Amino acid sequence: MTRTDLWDRVEPLLAGVERPARYIDREWGARHGDDAEYHAVLIYPDTYEIGQANQAVAILYHALNELPGVAAERAYLPWVDMSAALREAGVPLFSLESCRPLSEFDLVGITIPYELTFTNILETLDLAGIPLRAAARGDDDPLVIGGGPCVFNPEPIAPFFDAILIGEGEQAVAEIVAAHRAAKAEGLSRAETLASLARVPGVYVPSLYNVLTGEGGLFLGVEAVGDAPARVSKRVVADLDALPAPVCGVVPFMDVVHDRFGLEVLRGCTRGCRFCQAGMVYRPVRERSADTIVRDVMAGLACSGYDEVSLTSLSTTDHSQLEEVLRRLGKRLEGSGVSVSLPSLRVDAFGVEMARLVSAGGKKSGLTFAPEAGTQRMRDVVNKNVTEEDLLGSVQRAFDAGWRRVKLYFMIGLPTETDEDIAGIGRLVNRVLQTARDATPPNARGSIRVGVSVSTFVPKVQTPFQWEAQITHEEVRRRQGVLRDSMPRKGVDLHWHDADISFLEGVMARGGREVADVVEAAWRGGAVFDAWTEKFRLQRWVDAFESTGVDAASIANRERTPDEPLPWDHISAAVAPAYLRAERARALEALTTPDCSFTGCTGCDVCGDLGVDIVLGGEARG
Amino acid sequence: MANGEFRLRVRYSKADRLRWLSHLEIIHTLERAVRRAKLPYAITQGFSPHMKVAFGPALPVGTAGLEEYLEVWLTRYTTAEEALASLGAAMPTGLVPDHAKFVSERDKSLTATLTIARYEVDVTGKESGAQQVQTALDSVIAAGTLTVVHKGKNKVYDLARCLPEGARVTGQESGSRVMLTVRMGPDGSLRPEVLISAALEAAALEATVATKTRTATLVETEGGWARPM
Repeated sequence: MTRTDLWDRVEPLLAGVERPARYIDREWGARHGDDAEYHAVLIYPDTYEIGQANQAVAILYHALNELPGVAAERAYLPWVDMSAALREAGVPLFSLESCRPLSEFDLVGITIPYELTFTNILETLDLAGIPLRAAARGDDDPLVIGGGPCVFNPEPIAPFFDAILIGEGEQAVAEIVAAHRAAKAEGLSRAETLASLARVPGVYVPSLYNVLTGEGGLFLGVEAVGDAPARVSKRVVADLDALPAPVCGVVPFMDVVHDRFGLEVLRGCTRGCRFCQAGMVYRPVRERSADTIVRDVMAGLACSGYDEVSLTSLSTTDHSQLEEVLRRLGKRLEGSGVSVSLPSLRVDAFGVEMARLVSAGGKKSGLTFAPEAGTQRMRDVVNKNVTEEDLLGSVQRAFDAGWRRVKLYFMIGLPTETDEDIAGIGRLVNRVLQTARDATPPNARGSIRVGVSVSTFVPKVQTPFQWEAQITHEEVRRRQGVLRDSMPRKGVDLHWHDADISFLEGVMARGGREVADVVEAAWRGGAVFDAWTEKFRLQRWVDAFESTGVDAASIANRERTPDEPLPWDHISAAVAPAYLRAERARALEALTTPDCSFTGCTGCDVCGDLGVDIVLGGEARG
Repeated sequence: MANGEFRLRVRYSKADRLRWLSHLEIIHTLERAVRRAKLPYAITQGFSPHMKVAFGPALPVGTAGLEEYLEVWLTRYTTAEEALASLGAAMPTGLVPDHAKFVSERDKSLTATLTIARYEVDVTGKESGAQQVQTALDSVIAAGTLTVVHKGKNKVYDLARCLPEGARVTGQESGSRVMLTVRMGPDGSLRPEVLISAALEAAALEATVATKTRTATLVETEGGWARPM
């Protein structure tokens, strides 16, 4: 196979671009498996500083490089200055480690992190000289495989991928690589190779699924071809402690987001918030034990040289052994200048106590809580099992302990929301401010800040709200007005999400395969880096919807009937549709459902369907 | 010196691909290497404790450096050789420490003492012969001052102060190599490629600056220049 080293053509371009450190490789921990037989490149479709911190890519980079005969490299989407320079010089997009064109790899793995990176995926493929659509690729092109958070409705990007892995990848990648190597050894055609990949559990091969439409293009369903499975069910790792965490990962030179050693301490969350896709699709909860966490944190810090470690997960303060972990780490790290951080906090006394443990004697930068809604009724609808007393009690403890800043996350546009619920956000913030003032000595009250961040609810697939209508642009703006009018003026920093971006997220989240044409048209019209506010232009998307004849409003703003076929019905996150329907019904009655990790099974069917179970850190492994 | 602290001065080179790192990126990388090397580094007191460490003058993105310096304060004595070996093993390819020595706490800081930098800058292009480039440089230097527009502001360099000796140009296989000594000051230092580009432009030569290397950073002493260790 060809091995082109592009470095001599890349380096002369560096003097003319911002932040050349994005493109030079050679970081501590980068792996150079030059003598491997099988070469994979893992791509995060955004800039280096956004992608480098991604823990899923780090896990897969480690898992693939550990396979005998396999080398995995990294690539990122260059910033616009470098893309222009590459195109002008006729240099294709390259991997970091060996500086080879992406088109020379056996496997091109692309993370699908967020709806607004879809155009970046096309930009990546185009810079690499790989045909955008799987249907246009030939036997010499690499396999283009996707995976990540946005795969639970893969249809808007399905035509761009040869295969998409649904669910967790650390075990599945080995099976995918093995199937591909076997296919190569047997000299199978591309179509035969894809058919063999479709036999790997969790692998969705879009070309083996036909979209059925009726009169006027009415969506009727998706039908599997040949012996491809009718439904592709997500992959899940039964026990995180059974797999090594990547403790010796790449340590970047440049400032990146989350520039610290991150260790995943648990996966999944069963609190059951009804708007939350992550809470539904990453079930069940699987904790790593305190012993492995402390061991891996110490090993990761020693190997990386970082001065900060973050214990990451969807809900770290829910880890059943967190207090023990933090006390042990506190002892081990004393006097080293190394700090521990927690990504977000549970809204209760325990959350604040854990924040005190990690900030002992050091900076108290600010605490983040997510009450999500302003009235108890609304919080009951979304099953956010937090009361006003919980929040105000947490704020009081935090300000008593010396914090002066809190950040609160809310949503507007939730199902059944009224203006009264929105005004309730302002009232709640006011009470938070009052509580903060009362708990702060008079001479320090000037430094009290309450950050309020309000996003617009976007209904996500595989959740109890997947049938709901998203509110329209106009309605978002009107409700943002209600919010602004209800908010105290002094001491509050109010931010809300752009209505245009939420709308587009909604279309990408629930669209069918026809939306792929829109994504391509938008990219051809210049859309790229849509997640970067300064690069986002709604007009490019409006034009793309018009030229492709796709009705965006009917995707985002229409309520589905519970029995209509959905474009993602052939993809299963293992949460039973009947459970989602039942949870939706309870939501509309404002009835809450408890967390099954601590109160017993609530019947989502994940454990039975996948043959897995909840794993808590302190419990002996079976 | 804080009680029981040992001030270790280390010389290192920044070369190959790592020439593309910024000063801040180099600082973070070196600090992480010190931690990986498990040197018993001291921590500053105060609100936000961090490693007690100091660096020489910044090197611009794209410029390699052959004799760069850092200092790290240790709480426990180890031999300079041991510290150097463990630091070397913890550095990414392209950063190479080659000399380490304990210095007195009474010594002035690296930024205060390292005021002289020697550069080698390669010039390539159709009209990049040594003679042509030498003439172009001499004529710009003879003007006495150089005005540079930086971020919309004019900055005037006094070349007699900035350039303690004349530029020397030698022929290369393709183009030429300029050897330049620059005196660095607290309010910014003249970048050699700025001077050379100005000279090439003034003489209308079809040539450009290719690679840039700071070959030495030196201390100004009575009647001469010396390495800081």
